[in-house]
Amino acid sequence: MKRLRDLLPLMAAAVALVVLFALAVPGGRFLTVDNLLDLTQQISINAILAFGMTLAILIGGIDLSVGAVVALAGTVAVATLPVAGWPGAAAAGLGTAGLIGLVNGACAARTRMPPFIITLATMMVARGIALRFNEGRPMPVPDSQTVFLALGNARLLGVVPVPALVMLGAFVLAALLLHRTAFGQHLYAIGGSREAARCVGIPLARRETTVYLLCSLLAGLAGLIHASQLYSAEPASGQGFELNAIAAVVVGGTSFTGGVGTLPGTLVGAVIIGILDKGLNQAGVHFSLQYIIKGLVILGAVYLDVRRRK
Amino acid sequence: MKFPPLLAAAFAPVFAMLLLSGCGRPADTAAPAKGKLFAVSFQTLNNPFFVELNEGIRKAVESRGDRLVTLDAQFNSLKQKGDVADVLQQKPAALFLNPVNWEGVKGTLLDARRLGVPVIVVDAPVSDPELVLCQVASDNVEAGRLACEALAALKPNARVAILHYSVNKACIDRVDGFKAEMARHPGMKLLDTQDAKGTTEAARPVMRDLLGRFPELDAVFPINDPGAIGCISAIESAGKAGQVTVVTVDGSQEGARAILAGKLHSTSAQFPKQIGRIAAEKAYDHLAGKPVDKDIKVPVKLVRRENAAEFSGTP
Repeated sequence: MKRLRDLLPLMAAAVALVVLFALAVPGGRFLTVDNLLDLTQQISINAILAFGMTLAILIGGIDLSVGAVVALAGTVAVATLPVAGWPGAAAAGLGTAGLIGLVNGACAARTRMPPFIITLATMMVARGIALRFNEGRPMPVPDSQTVFLALGNARLLGVVPVPALVMLGAFVLAALLLHRTAFGQHLYAIGGSREAARCVGIPLARRETTVYLLCSLLAGLAGLIHASQLYSAEPASGQGFELNAIAAVVVGGTSFTGGVGTLPGTLVGAVIIGILDKGLNQAGVHFSLQYIIKGLVILGAVYLDVRRRK
Repeated sequence: MKFPPLLAAAFAPVFAMLLLSGCGRPADTAAPAKGKLFAVSFQTLNNPFFVELNEGIRKAVESRGDRLVTLDAQFNSLKQKGDVADVLQQKPAALFLNPVNWEGVKGTLLDARRLGVPVIVVDAPVSDPELVLCQVASDNVEAGRLACEALAALKPNARVAILHYSVNKACIDRVDGFKAEMARHPGMKLLDTQDAKGTTEAARPVMRDLLGRFPELDAVFPINDPGAIGCISAIESAGKAGQVTVVTVDGSQEGARAILAGKLHSTSAQFPKQIGRIAAEKAYDHLAGKPVDKDIKVPVKLVRRENAAEFSGTP
């Protein structure tokens, strides 16, 4: 339960933001069930990316390719839809994402190249492949593909957005993996000290490859939701998504040097960023100020976290 | 635990900003809830064209005592979808939309329909016109055609490159118009088409490479004024000023000044303020129960040396 107590300040900050915006948004339109359900749907893509990013950062790595993988997986899936239906499209999208993840993982685990550079390179490659489709133009999802469109747009029982449920599912699986298995313990050990982890016999290369594979697969899942939500694949989309995911991870208390961080923290981090985006929009704050405020909040959150750990 | 004061310190800027924004920019805040609320979402505001279009809408809306919220999607379809969902929760009287992705806004259009908010698309078209009240845009095909016509009058045997922005529907229309006119001039030849996103910083290196690859290149169509500025810079740094003719579309102040300086041959002027004003008028017509035309094309006008002064913004 120590972990949960660590989360309290973050949750307090999230609640403080909700109260602030409930007061600042005219007509009491912020704190409505509809608006909050909308929020869960809006943060789903960033949160799913951030779950994978947490694993990568936890072992002292990083994955800059996730934004491009969102675009690539969505594009491959939508291109496959007419011939293979939704199961084939999902498999093709996730398979492509997994392939990029394996390349990232193999390079990071078997060579001395830094993950920052590896994933910067695969980001460009993935983006380039996505832009090979349809001259880089958006490709529509046919209206007949109701299952694929439901992934991003439907609401369970007409209330709970499906992408939010997918996000929760991904969260539960990733959290169990990280916090309840030996695999998860190994990741903390690797992030704490690679040498020590190697000495106690943790299979470093296999663990590292798995982390990048998982990170990419989650990005692929986000890509499917993204294409579904936009009713189209957009090869040029997803730029900067990796930075938003990193922001959620660090606001959620994961240390950039590895070894420290939790998935519940990341979830709350993604919620905080989502509340900020939504609240500032609805309070009518000028978009230039929104940047400044978001930057200051990230700076403040990380500062507090660093101080608290000292 | 010494957390709460620190927390307050971290979030003080947020409070301060919210307060500041409340007094500095009355049009962007929703603080005094008087008049009707309108919202507009642009694919980018990093382009004078959209800033002026925004001004056109804002003037029309505020002159009637109503208010406008402006949102910048920064070329991110997902951000646009989220932004618009946020303002739709506030039940605006109408939504003006300039889509990043003309296929990808369908979900947004369905949401707006469900909430009964009329949508007016400005500048770039969408692929589901039946979901919107009307579309107001420049006649982009004609703008491209005028650019090619101006070029053909000067260089009937031009060797041309196009700097495209191939994911933008308005730019696709311009290039279609340009190519259609080119087909009427058998002496002209298209050497290559490259993508430069219609920005100065992207156009410059692309143009440098084209000049290196094609020594015979003597004309370029960079689809908008920011792209043309990048091309001109590349041409000058390659020492080819005066040899390569630049024709484009936009009619911004920067473009007109480049024409007066003899660096740009022509720009087909769009009238963004007018697009904004017409879009707002259509919204009010609809709210008053009057019928509205579905597809409104705002005419463009060729800017050349003779008339560039009136577009340059200098008295």
